[in-house]
Amino acid sequence: MKILIIVIALCSTVFSSVSFAEVEFSGYGSIIGGKTFGTVDDPLNPGQKRDQILTADFYDVGQYDNDFSLSAESLFALQANVDLGPKLKATAQLVAKGVDDFSPEFDWYYLTYQASSNLTLMAGRRNIPMYYYSEYSEVGYAYPWMRPPSNLYWWQITQFNSLQAMYNFELGDYSNNITVFYGNEKSYGNKEMLYYDKLYGGTATSVDEFWTNITGANWNISGDNFDVRFVYFQNDRDRTTIQQDGSISPYTPFSQKFMGVGGSIDLTPFTILFDYNYVTYDDAVGTRFPTYLISAVYNIDNYQPYIVYSKADHKRTKGPGATNDLEEHNIIGIGVRYNFLPKASFKVQFDKFTDQGNKATGWAYHGDSDTLTLGVDFIF
Amino acid sequence: MLKYKKFKRPITSLLGIALFASILPYKAANAEVVVVVNPSNTSTFDKSKIKKIFLGKTKSFENGRAAILLSPTPDSAAREQFNKLVLGKSSNQINAYWSKMIFTGKGIPPQEMKSDSELIEAIAANQDTIGYIDAASVTDAVKVVAKFK
Repeated sequence: MKILIIVIALCSTVFSSVSFAEVEFSGYGSIIGGKTFGTVDDPLNPGQKRDQILTADFYDVGQYDNDFSLSAESLFALQANVDLGPKLKATAQLVAKGVDDFSPEFDWYYLTYQASSNLTLMAGRRNIPMYYYSEYSEVGYAYPWMRPPSNLYWWQITQFNSLQAMYNFELGDYSNNITVFYGNEKSYGNKEMLYYDKLYGGTATSVDEFWTNITGANWNISGDNFDVRFVYFQNDRDRTTIQQDGSISPYTPFSQKFMGVGGSIDLTPFTILFDYNYVTYDDAVGTRFPTYLISAVYNIDNYQPYIVYSKADHKRTKGPGATNDLEEHNIIGIGVRYNFLPKASFKVQFDKFTDQGNKATGWAYHGDSDTLTLGVDFIF
Repeated sequence: MLKYKKFKRPITSLLGIALFASILPYKAANAEVVVVVNPSNTSTFDKSKIKKIFLGKTKSFENGRAAILLSPTPDSAAREQFNKLVLGKSSNQINAYWSKMIFTGKGIPPQEMKSDSELIEAIAANQDTIGYIDAASVTDAVKVVAKFK
């Protein structure tokens, strides 16, 4: 009974304080379905055939095969903004994804403090500003394609608990934004890494992935007809692969550097979008990942037909094992976005994934695929 | 507000909705749109400055005070006209731009007013506001700083 009274008292305190604050709700979502066409020789099981597979979402292992699926990429997100004072607000995003059977999770929660009209401080859980589209890769309504090319957005870590400072300033006719960030991410039971363990015949019960001391900056410059963003960050990496007998597989920690330049150029009626990134590990073999995308969008009334090409490569640059014959693939995507309502768009996209990885060493594990996806992105 | 529930129907019916929407007539948008501020605001404005303010890139006026952005209703001709003439984008492109800002916490879009008269009232009452409306709706309560047609 005492506990009940305390709970009621707490609830009334919470609700009475909420009634003073201004809460705003908004959100976004995507209902997307698709399938691949045909089969391939299973790259990891020579002599066997399997469905073509396109991994549309690496982090959550959202995949298409020959059976039409609505769960690989569909999602629904609700954002709440609470004004806690004239300069301080709290934001949370509750995201429900088809790959998680639509069970909602708080993917974003952070405080924003408006220190001055040009300086904003943020603290909390956000996406890591890696690639140009990383921070809003799930807001389908915000970009023309079905998704930012998934063979670049392939990392097992996409979010972090961070501190960020954003500073806006004008330089000549150009608007600038510099954001510095620091954060950590300890991903226990990482879905993507466990998927790879199983794919290569492992029987691990869990893989924990650690990215710590994620330290870097973004510099965004925009003018009348362009928007360009530079990124640099570095972080420490470690991994714990827990086997069924409780033992932990050996792993050598290392650090990585991520750099890139991406943006858009407005050549009315065309928009050109691009992103180039280069990732280096300070591991024993000198791992490098050069990746890029280039895309052209034609804006005609409410239609936006587009083409997008993306390429990812993996190299080892040090020692006797130096080689380029590792993971390598490209995707050509063609599609059209049709803005049929002010806050909703219909998209249809065909993707041709070509696996150029080395078959003998098991790096061609994706296999080729032809995939058709269609759906609706919306905001509210 | 839009009722998104209906879009959770099977994908096949989406094609029907898309086709139906495509035959709706386009709104005629040729009204003159004016940018208005509080009469006490002495800052100067040109098209480039207004564009930066309404994309959230410039956050304050010349007097250093943070700008509060107001826009007319989403279905108004002035909105479409302003997006096209000043921001150089379609309304959908502007919505896409703001969706990226809203869901990454990097900006707040202009607050939508229910009518031109409500927008004028809000601007007359607050010296830090800026908005745009159909030229025909302007009254003495606000100061016109730019015209676009």
